[in-house]
Amino acid sequence: MAHPQPSSHLPHLTSKDEFLAFQQQATARWDAMWSGDRIVASVGVGSSSIAKGALDVLDRARQELGENGIVREVSGNGAFWMEPWIEVKRPDAPPIVYGPITPDDVPAVIAGTREDLAIGVRGDEAFGTIPPLSAHPFFAKQTPLLMRNSGVIEPDSIEDAIARGAYAGYFKILFEMSEEDAIAEVTTAQVRGRGGGGFPAGIKWESGRKARNHPKFVVCNSHEGEPNVYKDRHLHESDPHRILEGILIACIACGAERGYNYIGGEYPLAIKRFRQAVADAERLGLIGHDILGTGKNVAFRVRTGGGAYVCGEASALMYSVMGVRGQPRTKPPRSVEEGLWKRPTVANNTETLANIPDIIVNGGEWYAAMGTEGSKGTKLMTVQGPMQRLGVVEVEMGITLNTLFNDIYGGMKEGHVFKGVQTGGVSAGPLTEEHLDIPVDFDSLGKVGGMLGSGGWVVFDQNVCVVDFARYLTAFNRYESCSKCVPCRLGNPALVEILDRIRLGRGTLDDLALIKRTSKHIIELSLCGLGQVAPVPLLGMIDRYEDEFRRHIVDHECPTGSCPIHAPQRELVAAD
Amino acid sequence: MSHAEPVQVPLPVPAPFTGRQEIDPDVVRELVSHFTYSDFEEAQELILSALQEVNEHFGWVSPEAAQIVADHLGTTINRVYGLLTFYADFRTEPRGHHHLLVCHGMSCYVQGSQQLIQTLQDRLGIADGDTTPDQQLSVQVVNGCLGVCDRSPVVKLDDTYHGPVDSGELTDLIQRALAVHREEAQHGASAAE
Repeated sequence: MAHPQPSSHLPHLTSKDEFLAFQQQATARWDAMWSGDRIVASVGVGSSSIAKGALDVLDRARQELGENGIVREVSGNGAFWMEPWIEVKRPDAPPIVYGPITPDDVPAVIAGTREDLAIGVRGDEAFGTIPPLSAHPFFAKQTPLLMRNSGVIEPDSIEDAIARGAYAGYFKILFEMSEEDAIAEVTTAQVRGRGGGGFPAGIKWESGRKARNHPKFVVCNSHEGEPNVYKDRHLHESDPHRILEGILIACIACGAERGYNYIGGEYPLAIKRFRQAVADAERLGLIGHDILGTGKNVAFRVRTGGGAYVCGEASALMYSVMGVRGQPRTKPPRSVEEGLWKRPTVANNTETLANIPDIIVNGGEWYAAMGTEGSKGTKLMTVQGPMQRLGVVEVEMGITLNTLFNDIYGGMKEGHVFKGVQTGGVSAGPLTEEHLDIPVDFDSLGKVGGMLGSGGWVVFDQNVCVVDFARYLTAFNRYESCSKCVPCRLGNPALVEILDRIRLGRGTLDDLALIKRTSKHIIELSLCGLGQVAPVPLLGMIDRYEDEFRRHIVDHECPTGSCPIHAPQRELVAAD
Repeated sequence: MSHAEPVQVPLPVPAPFTGRQEIDPDVVRELVSHFTYSDFEEAQELILSALQEVNEHFGWVSPEAAQIVADHLGTTINRVYGLLTFYADFRTEPRGHHHLLVCHGMSCYVQGSQQLIQTLQDRLGIADGDTTPDQQLSVQVVNGCLGVCDRSPVVKLDDTYHGPVDSGELTDLIQRALAVHREEAQHGASAAE
């Protein structure tokens, strides 16, 4: 694991004026880079593009340009389908994005002779025959706020971030605005918890501020263990300073002495880039004692998780930070009363905190103007499955699933027929074709048994057997159960056993009733959120696709052929 | 998926184990020395990070390494083992020479990762967390997401991602890796002579 050193050229800022001067200097440097007469080549490097060889492209670009140009290591821009990509800005042209490319394409791309690989111009105007990137169907219906800097700034450069507006909100709360006003703006913005719960952040902050115990802490929950979501990883990799700024604002607003960011251990690049951001901000004097001469103190610690899904639950997360097994506890007391080290602790999701800087700068009203009645602002989404394009996108709340799947993600791949979409990670049921016109927000989906959750959607096609899929989802919860309370520890394995029986063609119709009864026990008696929703996807599957379950039980056949109904005896033991 | 009698593909004769299995206590001490703390609260917060560092470096955490971490942070090995066995990222047994991660995220699942796991079980006789008896290959099923969903179903063999792969391609891939390794070992042996 990296122990990053702060960039040695950064000064230590001790006053308001010094910060403003540094901001000006960073902006001037940024403008000079884009208006200069050197070629600027930026390669999108994120964990998804590294898997496809982005580092080789970066090396090749460095060799190719040498001293004659600037090569930048930016992050991915969310569009996985065009990775690895390179953006080339020639002195006489706007920045043009090319992808997907191989290292061997790099010389020609930099020379400007491979227009066939060009995807678009970063900006809003076309250049010659190359259309603007924002007109591409993948980007046209997005509303980038949090992802505004994705693929634009170098995540390891605090100067890039500051030139693009980072720490403006932090500056505002330090010098121009009272803590109460800041919390009022967050309340006006009606920003709701993005981790899936949807609890209003303003109310949480308010009670955090009112808590009498000291010291207080702010914890950013960046542990996304769901088997299909990587929006927080993308945010960390592309714009770590935005998250850090959000946490620091929360610390000042709630009067907390120390901020934490708890990142899942399976994201080495995200951890590395975030640690670098913290080291640079500390060096610059934005974290520490007497910040910019205001007399305010905030310390910061980065902690990493060890791959346990349940640690996304706030109380389990705090136990994990404290170096014990991440097992949730009963509430009350809530964590704003008694959290980390038994002190008042405000815990927010990464995406929620990443929204904060813009809300402080532009005001709550501005933010509340976006989105729907009950869900304001934008939401990061990931759609997976056999789609034409894949990636992370940011859309305004209230977009329909149809727009999301068919316009942005380009519909299903050839040869695949839409069968359904699993919503809310492993915590809610599937939706089918008839639900695709429903607007996506916190409230509408719940009415039909779906869930926005953390914004992960998994589209499945005709080749997926729902009994097998339900078993997969239940087995995930079985595996991830922390084993603290009995209903979850024993109930989930029992459900998997019943489902295995059905998969093997030995189920009876009574089993469906048995599933419902067992599920009821798990839902009502489990201690934490994991157990309370563990059987919900299974119940949703039965609800939507009861015919298919019955065919397994009554006709002893699996319509897709994925269940081992006719398997020889020796194959009957599942591999996991 | 057909359920015909699975074809038993013989694996190439594996070379002797050359992977980094032994844990050098001095290296562990060097690794944990970066974790400094001012009070016991902070020391406790560092246990997981220190273990991760060791786990990342060696691929597993031995009882001896766990004791060093415990001593450095002023806690007990019982507590350290409690964490090692709770969190899925840690291994308490050495990895094989090659390490295979099979992504079992939902995106990979809907595109066939279940069959890959079944293939490993049927053809190689290894399941999640197992190592082949000759220490050549260890397998870990990632119950989260490797984050390369446009290549699903995806596997990561050593440092390279491969995807999309089907059962046959996965078997090929493993055989090739083991065969290359065998050649290298033979080559190395002849060069030494």
